[in-house]
Amino acid sequence: MNGFITALTGYTFLQNAIIACLLASIGCGVIGSYVVVKRISFLTGGIAHSVLAGMGMAYFYNASPIIGAIIAALISSVFIGWINLRWKEHEDVLIAAFWSAGMAIGILFLSQTAGYNVDLMSYLFGNILLITSNDLWLMLLLDLVVLVAVFIYYKQFLASVFDEEFARLRGIKTELFYILLLCLISITIVTLIQLVGLIMVIALLTLPAAIANQYVASLHKMFFLSAVVCAIISVVGVVLSFEQDLPTGSVIVLTACFAYFSSVIFKQFINNK
Amino acid sequence: MNKVVIDIDNVSFSYGGVSVLEEVSLKIYEDEFIGIIGPNASGKSTLLKLILGLLEPDKGTISKYNADTRNVHNHIGYVPQHSAFSRDFPITVGEVVMMGHISAPEKFFRYKKKEIERTKQVLQKLDIESIEKRHIEKLSGGQLQRVLIARALVCQPEILILDEPTSSVDMRVEEDIFALLKNYSEHMTIIVVSHDIAFISGYVDRVACVNRTLVCHDTESISGKMIEDLYGTPVKIIQHHH
Repeated sequence: MNGFITALTGYTFLQNAIIACLLASIGCGVIGSYVVVKRISFLTGGIAHSVLAGMGMAYFYNASPIIGAIIAALISSVFIGWINLRWKEHEDVLIAAFWSAGMAIGILFLSQTAGYNVDLMSYLFGNILLITSNDLWLMLLLDLVVLVAVFIYYKQFLASVFDEEFARLRGIKTELFYILLLCLISITIVTLIQLVGLIMVIALLTLPAAIANQYVASLHKMFFLSAVVCAIISVVGVVLSFEQDLPTGSVIVLTACFAYFSSVIFKQFINNK
Repeated sequence: MNKVVIDIDNVSFSYGGVSVLEEVSLKIYEDEFIGIIGPNASGKSTLLKLILGLLEPDKGTISKYNADTRNVHNHIGYVPQHSAFSRDFPITVGEVVMMGHISAPEKFFRYKKKEIERTKQVLQKLDIESIEKRHIEKLSGGQLQRVLIARALVCQPEILILDEPTSSVDMRVEEDIFALLKNYSEHMTIIVVSHDIAFISGYVDRVACVNRTLVCHDTESISGKMIEDLYGTPVKIIQHHH
């Protein structure tokens, strides 16, 4: 631990990593809560994986892969949402199709791109230690978009997520808010990709919020608690991976899993007492 | 006779080619307490959703005060079945009830002072103010039902519609809830969907029996023969007073 603190004062990349954890936790806490209460973690996984298509194309055309990721995530969330609203009964197959098609398109484009792309591995599995200050500004911007949208439409989101039929009767366009929510999820996925990679994004969007859900009785409290839990988990993950020289994304994800199972057992223990 | 508040005129509806309702006509009058009854899968929930404007009829029209079906936000209060949401959702009793104030154009986190006060009054009236801060997961069936009724009442509707309000509560709570509704029905139109004809006939003014088609009765005229026609099997009638 002392070694980490000394290193933290000396190396900008470690400072950036810690700031990235804190910024990612904001989106993770708010949007992860919606993912958990609306039970759409599989759908979220589908959006996360389809992002590879955008990154592959961006590589091929020599553009910024993170911009490609944002565009791909937004397109696939609108598509998945729109098709899902019309063919609800095929939801799981639909998600599986998007999930794999996105990965396949991404790999096709990458295979046609000249040169070896080491960066790709960091987007698949995350590499928080490569985060630049530009990336941090982008994360901050995406966080602000999410926070502003949720702040303005908190009631509408709450009503449509809790009881869609009732929300519709109150005149709320629940289908619009469903698509908007998926877009916010896709934005958050992009902020998390640099932390843990698109393959493991789903862990940070579900586990901290699921832990928080065990202890609070209101959605806005769940936002705060899961953001705090996510921040602790990711910072602990960075510290552990630095000290043991292990891949950061994997350590963060395993820390999150460990925290979740511990919390479930702790809660059981409390309830049985 | 009071004026008509809902006029269902010759409405038919089908799900994917299967006919659910055929040529149903029903007039509902102001301040009436009407029960819609029928066996499972008889189309009574579908009729309710048509009235609410959540579904569009294939044929026929539904008029409310001669207004379009979709402009019902403050006009109709709706109490869904419990299964409409999950009980482990992080939300308190107070927050659920406040949700009755939510409308499309309103933005931001806070509620108006007027809305908070009206919520307090409704919570008091329904005797659930003491559990305002409680998580909905920790409520009994009867308490949850009161919470949902409160949510429907905060926007001061002229018509209150309830879908199987007593399907998951015991007999004593069922009586409580219907006594409460009876009270409100003096100055409000109430429509209750139920499969329990013997019980609700003690409270409602009129029953509409749905089984793809619709037959209407005054509660006085409910007979064993009629129930037999509706359900296809003899049903024991319980004597009751009006």
